[in-house]
Amino acid sequence: MNKLFYAGFAMALLAGCSSTPLNDANAPSDAKAGAAKNGELSLDKLRTDSLLTQRSVYFDFDKFEVKPEYLDVVNAHAQYAADHPAAKMTLKGHADYRGSHEYNLALGQKRSVSVKDVMNTSGANDSQIETVSYGEEEANQNCQGQECGQDRRVDISYEVE
Amino acid sequence: MKFLSKTLLLILFLFQTAQAIEVIDILGGKANELAVAVIPFSGDDTDNEKNQIHNIIKSDLSRSGFFRIIKTEGVKSLPANSDQVDYTFWSGLKTELLVIGRVEKNEQQIKVTYDLVDVFKEKLIISTEYMGTLKQARQIGHQISNVIYEKITGTPGVFHTKIGYVQKVNNKKFHLNVADMDGFNAKSVVISNEPIISTRWSPDGEKIAYVSFEKKKPVIFVQNLKTGDRKLVANFKGNNSSPAWSPDSKKLAIVLTYNAFSQIYIMDVNGGDVQRLMRSRSIDTEPVWAPDGKSIFFVSDRGGGPQIYSIDLATEQVRRVTFEGKYNVSPRLSPDGKLLTFITNDNGSYKVAVQNLMSNQVMRLTKGKNDEAPVFSPNGHMVLYTSKESEKETALKTVSLNGFKQQLIDTGPLSNQEATWSPIDF
Repeated sequence: MNKLFYAGFAMALLAGCSSTPLNDANAPSDAKAGAAKNGELSLDKLRTDSLLTQRSVYFDFDKFEVKPEYLDVVNAHAQYAADHPAAKMTLKGHADYRGSHEYNLALGQKRSVSVKDVMNTSGANDSQIETVSYGEEEANQNCQGQECGQDRRVDISYEVE
Repeated sequence: MKFLSKTLLLILFLFQTAQAIEVIDILGGKANELAVAVIPFSGDDTDNEKNQIHNIIKSDLSRSGFFRIIKTEGVKSLPANSDQVDYTFWSGLKTELLVIGRVEKNEQQIKVTYDLVDVFKEKLIISTEYMGTLKQARQIGHQISNVIYEKITGTPGVFHTKIGYVQKVNNKKFHLNVADMDGFNAKSVVISNEPIISTRWSPDGEKIAYVSFEKKKPVIFVQNLKTGDRKLVANFKGNNSSPAWSPDSKKLAIVLTYNAFSQIYIMDVNGGDVQRLMRSRSIDTEPVWAPDGKSIFFVSDRGGGPQIYSIDLATEQVRRVTFEGKYNVSPRLSPDGKLLTFITNDNGSYKVAVQNLMSNQVMRLTKGKNDEAPVFSPNGHMVLYTSKESEKETALKTVSLNGFKQQLIDTGPLSNQEATWSPIDF
């Protein structure tokens, strides 16, 4: 139930974003400030920014394309990485429990790579991003219908956290 | 023997009549089973019914799909040896075979004598005696099953073999267990706080390769069953998974990702000489060696959804193998290389299927709906798989190719999955 609530909350945030775009993550002054501090990370920003605090990207069944509604979040993290060359993040892919453990591991990996690809085009360096997969190993083994969507995701985490 | 020839004929008929690809669902066919009555062995005073010799034999023969067990409860005078058989009575029950036995025990030793009787011919087929320690009682039962099985089918039985599988304990501990093929005498060879998947018994019987998440990502270990040593053989950047033994047990096909999609590599069993098998812009995973060592079957989503392909190791030519359905994963080959088993998604239900690689005809062996990880028995007559009913823990089952008999493997109430089967001469 917690997961469901969280998803609803994330969606509400996203809906909010589309009407009032938050550009501060992309502001050039911020980028310069981040770079000027020579590798320092603005942890406060990671913890407070309305896009950077969103750490999960959800996918459709057996699909790996990043859906348009998650591009703002993914791009915000890419911009953060571009602004903070010392930042290192892990993209951890997941799949729901249905089907083979190994194929789900590969599918989770493909999802994490497709998030990385979007980040790469938005300026994040490949060396800052590690993609791994947990497949279905952390998935709800009894999910039904739409509930299983919670397990089809990529989680974004930073090394410093 | 006439029963057997009828059975084989039916299998050949099923596999060879279809020229076009055709999928057949057959569940619980009963026509080809041989009716056998296994009489409780006289002198078998074992308290636990499951450990009584006649119940071990009944469970084995029933599992094989070649036998239908005739109930003997309520029969007044059960024979204790072949001289005492009332043939008219047993033919009246449509019993074709009788197994009759005697147990003698002292404090350390058990002696088991049994007779296999052909009721229609009124003839003793086999009479044999086994001696062993008391702890070997189950093994003696399995050996009797093997002899009967081979006599009737012409193929060696696998009732003495072992299986490996992953047991989840309260979702906190993950045990790699080895047990008798019916689930008895389980022992944990690895215990981990992180998930274990993809157990693969080496063809030489000595090792089990598996994937562990104990490095906070999937890496490949090889557990030596003789020495108890375990070795981390693949811990490259990204994911390391899906180990598959070469037929000579000297190499492993593995799947690595680095920072990209899953791709297949081949390396020495100790982790050296890593060579990329092929390059694709898609998922390539779940490699499995053909028994002749000449090709590797694998799963790829290069055509959209996951399908099974094979690559010829000499020519590097890739061929698509499965065409029915949009989701076919987890390929494993029969020991003779003629049959492929895999999981197919049939309208949202994941079922065990078998494809004849000559005719390409597909048969679905189970009803689903969440079956996983099929693997052939070492004689190719059964498929071991993971079955999950909703809200229940995963359980291991076998399904026989003859008669499609599904039977639980008694590994207890915990979640059991990701099984592998030892070689036949283990």
